[in-house]
Formats: sequence, C-alpha cells, structure tokens
Amino acid sequence: MTARFVVGKVLGALGTLVFVVVFNFFLFRVVESNPVATLYRGRNLTDTQREELTRQFGLEGSKLEQFWHYLEQTAQLNFGRSYATNQPVIDEIWAAAPQTIALVGTATVLSMVIGILMGISAGWRRGTNQDRVLTSTSIVTWSTPEFWLGMILLTFFAVRLGLFPTGGISDPSASASGLGHLLDQIHHMVLPCLTLTIAYLGEYALIMRSSVIDVSREDYLTLARAKGLRDSQVRDRHAVRNALLPSTALIAISFGFVLSGAITVETVFSWPGLGLLTYESLRGPDLPMLQGLFLLFSLAVIVFNLAADLLYPYLDPRVRHQ
Amino acid sequence: MKPVKLLAASLVVLAALGATTGAAAQSDDDKVVLTIGLTQDLDTPNVTAGELVSSYELYNLQYASPTDLASADFATSPGLAESWEVSDDGRTVTYTLREGLAWSDDTPLTAEDIAYTINRSRDEEWLNYSSTVANLTAEAPDERTVVVTSKVNDPRLPGLSLYIVPKHVWEKVPADDVGTYAALDGVGSGPFTLSEWKKGQFWRMEANPNFWRGQVEIDEVVFRVFRNADAMVAALRSGELDAAHNVPASSFPDLETEEGIVAVAGEQGGFDYLVVNSYDNEPERDTEVFDAPHPALTDPVVRQAIAHAIDKETLVERVLNGIATPGTTMSPSPNPAWIPELTEDEVYEFDLDKANQLLEDAGYTDSNGNGIREYEGEDIVLRYAIRSESEYSKPYAEFITGWLEQIGLDTTLSTYDDGQLIEVAGKGDFDLYVWGWTPFVDPDPMLSYFKCDQISVDASDFSNYYNDTGLCDPEYDELYTQQNVELDPDRRQEIVHEMLTRFYTSAAYIVAATSPDLQAYRTDRFTGWVKQPAETGPVLFSNSSPSYWNLTPTGESSSDSGLSTGGFVAIAIAGVLGIVLVGWYFLRRRTAEERE
Repeated sequence: MTARFVVGKVLGALGTLVFVVVFNFFLFRVVESNPVATLYRGRNLTDTQREELTRQFGLEGSKLEQFWHYLEQTAQLNFGRSYATNQPVIDEIWAAAPQTIALVGTATVLSMVIGILMGISAGWRRGTNQDRVLTSTSIVTWSTPEFWLGMILLTFFAVRLGLFPTGGISDPSASASGLGHLLDQIHHMVLPCLTLTIAYLGEYALIMRSSVIDVSREDYLTLARAKGLRDSQVRDRHAVRNALLPSTALIAISFGFVLSGAITVETVFSWPGLGLLTYESLRGPDLPMLQGLFLLFSLAVIVFNLAADLLYPYLDPRVRHQ
Repeated sequence: MKPVKLLAASLVVLAALGATTGAAAQSDDDKVVLTIGLTQDLDTPNVTAGELVSSYELYNLQYASPTDLASADFATSPGLAESWEVSDDGRTVTYTLREGLAWSDDTPLTAEDIAYTINRSRDEEWLNYSSTVANLTAEAPDERTVVVTSKVNDPRLPGLSLYIVPKHVWEKVPADDVGTYAALDGVGSGPFTLSEWKKGQFWRMEANPNFWRGQVEIDEVVFRVFRNADAMVAALRSGELDAAHNVPASSFPDLETEEGIVAVAGEQGGFDYLVVNSYDNEPERDTEVFDAPHPALTDPVVRQAIAHAIDKETLVERVLNGIATPGTTMSPSPNPAWIPELTEDEVYEFDLDKANQLLEDAGYTDSNGNGIREYEGEDIVLRYAIRSESEYSKPYAEFITGWLEQIGLDTTLSTYDDGQLIEVAGKGDFDLYVWGWTPFVDPDPMLSYFKCDQISVDASDFSNYYNDTGLCDPEYDELYTQQNVELDPDRRQEIVHEMLTRFYTSAAYIVAATSPDLQAYRTDRFTGWVKQPAETGPVLFSNSSPSYWNLTPTGESSSDSGLSTGGFVAIAIAGVLGIVLVGWYFLRRRTAEERE
C-alpha cells in the first residue's frame, strides 16, 4: 500500500463530505415553506414575535446569505438550534446517540456473529437440508419489514405474555440504580434488539454462504484434506479465513449504518435514540435537527467506508500488490 | 443442533432474560404514582416558549394562576387570589392573595411575583404571554395585594389566567435567554412540579406540598411517551398505565366496551373545516404575485350550494369512524356557550337537489351536457388541496369531491405538506381544502382570524395571514371591535353569536365536524376524573387540568405485569435450566469431535 493510495482514499472521502454538506443545505429547502408559520399556526403571534422567531431560526436574508451562514456555522461544528425544542442540535444528538449505539451496535454484532455462523454452516454443507433451512430462513428474515417484525414480537412477548415492557428504555416507576437500573435497561432492550438482530442476520448469512461456496472449490482445500486434517480444521483454518474477506467490507460498512439504522424499530419500541429523533424531526419539519442528523449519518458512513478501503489491503495481499 | 431445538432453546433463554431483568426492575416503594401515556414528548419545560399540548399540561400542573377556570364551564373562580374588586370603569382590578402562599421550594409567593410576571412578560413580549398581558400593568402595593390595570377595556378581566413564574428563579434569566432557558428548576405553585425529564422517554412531577388547595393525594405523576400508539393502548390494558391521551381512533371502539376502562372523546372546541377561497379583491393585493379563487366562488350562492352538498353525518361516520359530532358554526372556544343556536332557515342541511337548484337558478348551467356546469362558457373546475400530513384529508376529499361532482362542479386534486399548504393558501392558489383549528378559552383570538386585516396581502411573506377564506366582511370586523371591548358578558356573548351566525351564513367556512381528543383511563386505581367542560370535555390535557388535584387512589395496587412473582421465579428457574442444557449440548458436541 502506497502513500498515494492512502492520500487518494482520504481525499475521496473528504470530497464526498463536502458534497454532503452542500447537498444537505439544499435538500431541506427544495420545498418552499416557512417553519415559523407551520410551527406556530394558530398561536396569535405579534409581528415582533414573528420577526424574532424568523431571526432565531436563521431564516432572514436571501437563500445565498442563509447558505453562507450555514457553511460558517457548520465549519465551527455549530448546527444551530432545534426549531422544536430551542436547544442546540448537537446537544440533542449527543443525548440520543448512546441509546442508538447500544441498541443497533449490539444487534449488529449479534447478527454478524449468528449470521456468519449460519452462512458458514450452510455453505459448507451446500445442498443438504440444513443448507436449505438456513438459506430460506435467511431470505425470509432479510426480506421481513423490521417494523412489522417488531410489532409482532411486541404483541406476543410484551402484550400477550407480559414478559417485556411495551416500549421505552427504562421503567420510570423503578427507582433502581446501579445494577438494577442496568438490568432494567437490558430488559427494555431485548425486544428491539432481537427484532434488529433477526432483520440483519440474513444478509450476513447469505454473503458468508456464497463466499464459503466460492472458497470450497479452491485447490488449497483439497491439499489440506490430503494432509489428513479433520473436516472442521479444514473449514475453520483454511476455508473460513479466506471466505471472511468479502464479509469484512460488509461489516465495516454496516458499522457506518449503526447510527441511522433503526428509524422504524426505534419508533415501534419508543426507543429514544437517533432513529426516533429523525422520525420526530421529519414530522416538524425540524430543519436544523434534520441537517445535523443527516450530516452525522453521512459522516459515519464515509468514515467507515474509508476504514474498509484502508483495511482491505492489509487483509488481502492481492489488493496490496496491485 | 436441529432448528426446532434451537428455537425452543432461544425461547427459553428469552423468557429467562425477561423474567430476571424484569424482576430486577420492580419498583419497591409505596408511593402513589399516577402514570399517564401520551404520544408526544415535551418540547420544552420553559413556560414562555413551549407550544405543544404536552407542555401545556406541564405548565397547568406546575404554575397556578391568579384566577382559575372552573372545571365545569370555565367561569372565573378564585386561584392564588382569594378575592378581587373591579373599578367602576372595569379597567382596574385589585386582587387579594391567599394568606401564606409559598412556592414549592418554600420561598414565599407574594404579589411581587405576579406583578413581576405581568410586567416583564409584557415588556419582553414573551411568546406565551403577550396576548394576555399586552395591555396590562401590574403593581404590588403590599405582599398580598396586586393591582392590575388595563389600557383598554378587556372583557377577560377580572379573569386572569396566567402562569405566574417565580421571580427568584426568573430574575436570573436575562432577557435574551428567556426563550431558550431550559427551565428544569422545578419551582412552581401548582399541584405538581417537574422533578425529572428524560427526553423522549418520560417526565416525572412530584406533588407540591405548598399547593394552595392543600396537598393532593397523589405523590407523583409520570408521563410516559410512546411513539407507537398501539403499544400505549396495550400498556393501558395491562395496567402499566392509568390513563392514555391520543388513543388511536382504530382502538377507541374496543376500549369503549372494555370493562375497567372508560374511553372519553373529549370535546375542546377543536374542529375540521372545509374552507372555500372567497377572496374578492378586498383588501387589494398584487395580482401579479397573488392568485385568485375561481371567480364563481366569490358568488355567495355558489358557496351556499357547496354547503348544501356536504353531508356532515356521512363524514363523521365514514371518515372519522363515528367518533365526532357533525359541525355547525365555527367554534371559537372550548366553552360551548359561545356557539349560537342556528334557526332551521339558517342551517345548510345536506340536500343535493337544493344545491343543484340554487346553481341552476343563478345561471350556472351545463350547456354542453358533459355533467359540469359552466361559468362564462368554461367548465367550473375547482382546485382542491389535500394535506399529506393528515390521515383524514384524503378520505374527506374523496367524499367531498364526489358530492361536488353530483352538483356539477369538477375538481382537481393536489397534495401538499402543511408547510407548503400554508404558503400555497397564502398565495391564494387554491379553491378548497380541509384543515382544523383548536381554540383558546377566550373566543377573541379565533374570532380575530377572520377579519379583513388577517387576509394574506404581504407579498414578501405568504405565511403572514390567518384568514384563509380571503373573505372580507366589514360588518364582521365592526362586530369584532365591539365584542373586543364589551365588558358586559351577556352582551358580549350576543355579539359573538351574531358574528358566528354571519360567518356561517357566508358559507366560506364549512365546519365538517368536531375533532375530539380521544382518551381512556382505568377505573381500578383512581377515582375522581373530572371532565372540562362538564359532560363533553376531556379528563386530561384540558384547559386547566382539574383531574390531577381531584383524583383519589382506590387503595388497589397496580397489576404491574401479567405475571406474579411466583411466575417470574418459575420462568427464571426454567431459563437457567435451559441455558445449562444448551451449554451441555455444545460441550458434548465439541468433545465428540475431539474424540473423532
């Protein structure tokens, strides 16, 4: 890997980021509308109050002036104040981010592990009943809408059986702290996390299955068998290691989507994370909040993509020597 | 492992997880907690700036007012002030406060706090205050006396519904920061004060021992925010909640018949209307920039025909699931006393034949036989706007355009989000749409929206208007001015009735139906729910929220979850066994491979 390669990738990522920042501004202004009028409809505002709100919302001046102001502020990492709550956008995002990282991060890791194991076992015994069951399960779960699955699990486990809460992240009547509080949060996280895990694992399983199948035709596996290795050793030490390469790229990109990944599931389970914040802001519409969120989501994807690009040559010498 | 076994094992593990973590979260104290579910978080606890219904409930609970609104009919009744005297000209009121008032943090609550709130909010034009205090000046000659003077006749006086803020807290907030102050201080004078707000999850309010009515029987109110209304209904059924606000219309009929639950469709004056663009070049505006309605609509007869073509009963039944009341006049207040009785002649009853006859007689005929009437030789095609943000807007449009077709009026449909529609309507680029309003207690603001000076004429800002009918009726404006300064309540009511009847007759605003708040509460843990106004109103999220200080616990404990402690223990044991079994299975398999 040369310095030129690294610099090229980093510059590419920066270019994408600049494009996103510019695009972000216009995306939310395609439709003409005045947020002051929408948010304060029927509120009997005086003229001074209207002007003051317009100023606060950064809506005075021409589009070009607003754009310049936006660039200045964004460069200073100031994303403005939310129309809805009047608090700095960045604070609201920081407050919601940990919940999303906990939920979607856990679900991503779980679905990765389970999905990859499923894919290995399906691909390694290609054509058997086990393969058919695992593959069709993966296709079904991958194509199931997350919010629908979430509603089904919610209705069954929370409403029918009463085993889990109907939503939220902690029980407001439980004054527990420390370990009790943590357990309470896990209790609330089980269903949304399960929903996401089921929804995500199919993708990993299917990709892993096809790479295992690709690899299984390679000569070095025949050699490994000829050396007298046990089947499980051939699989784990020779096949899986090589088959994991395509999944690595997918894994890196998936982490990029952790932040934005669960809008519908967070809504179904009233999980107060970034997905729910996005949903709420869309209803406003709360433009500064949406701008901040979209920028953050894009940034995450760009960073992890860059990481995948830079990581790949280390894992696969063939790329390095090209 | 076989898939079936795997599934069974996962279910057992899941159940165990549910039981163990759930048991850990059980609450362990004997506080009386009222838990309310809603679908909207607070926007801000800052009483000067919040605009959501959820936030107003917080303000109602946290801040007492000099005078209160009676639960039954919104009549002015004693609040922080136990009595008052009105001057001869009606413009000065001297309030006497109760003895020994204090804030929830034990700081004395004095006349100075009230004068401070009125004067500062007027000077700085606080968002939620200015319509009440714009013309008021207050003085505090001693600790228990407040003298409030109005520059103009104010029919709302001596009623003074105003969230009084604690001076010792707010004087530390500079003028520039008033709108953005986070207001988590939790100092108040109402029955409950804010003690915790977990954004997006819940907020908690604890009883104020210094509340002027005496301490209430509930220790704590928790408002839980659900983004999934069906999950909220499930939580109400299971007993996790004691009451729920904004129940979805689809589950409302089931809740109505469910034992132990009372479902309430509370009317607060909110209504859905069909607006007919009636702008007729008055007041003048730049025709280069502004659009105009279809010229036929400026003829009152055409509008009356449209009014006769709207079957409100069917709209209520088919669009609103039967949970609403067919509309009459525009409703300017949650208090039904402001709505006039219309005579039989005045009412536009649903009658397509009559509608057709009216149009025929006025010369709008269909000369080419294509089923559409013509205006000056051209087919009449009206622009109907649909709101993408309202689930009812499309079904409303389907019924209404169907009836219009039957009276020979064609329509084209366009869909807008609310922000767009405000601008489109401001430009006058529409003929018809359905939207809704929810009025304040005093009828004045709602009445003011339909004055000539509220018509959109500002070419630099198409959202700077209230009068979306575009109808300018100088007689209405004259009556508005009269009621605005009329201090005799009966006389004022007469004027308002006249205004509303006039406005109804113009047929520019066809009120389709009321839009009630759908709520439900359990009967097992608390009694004493109060509807405001009496009989027809909601029990929660009303104008002064009287339920909270009136509720008493029945003594029954909440059935927190479907399972008893025994059940939890059994499942936990089963779960541990399951985990051990699964572990053993894997271990055995591994050693089997090693043995190979």
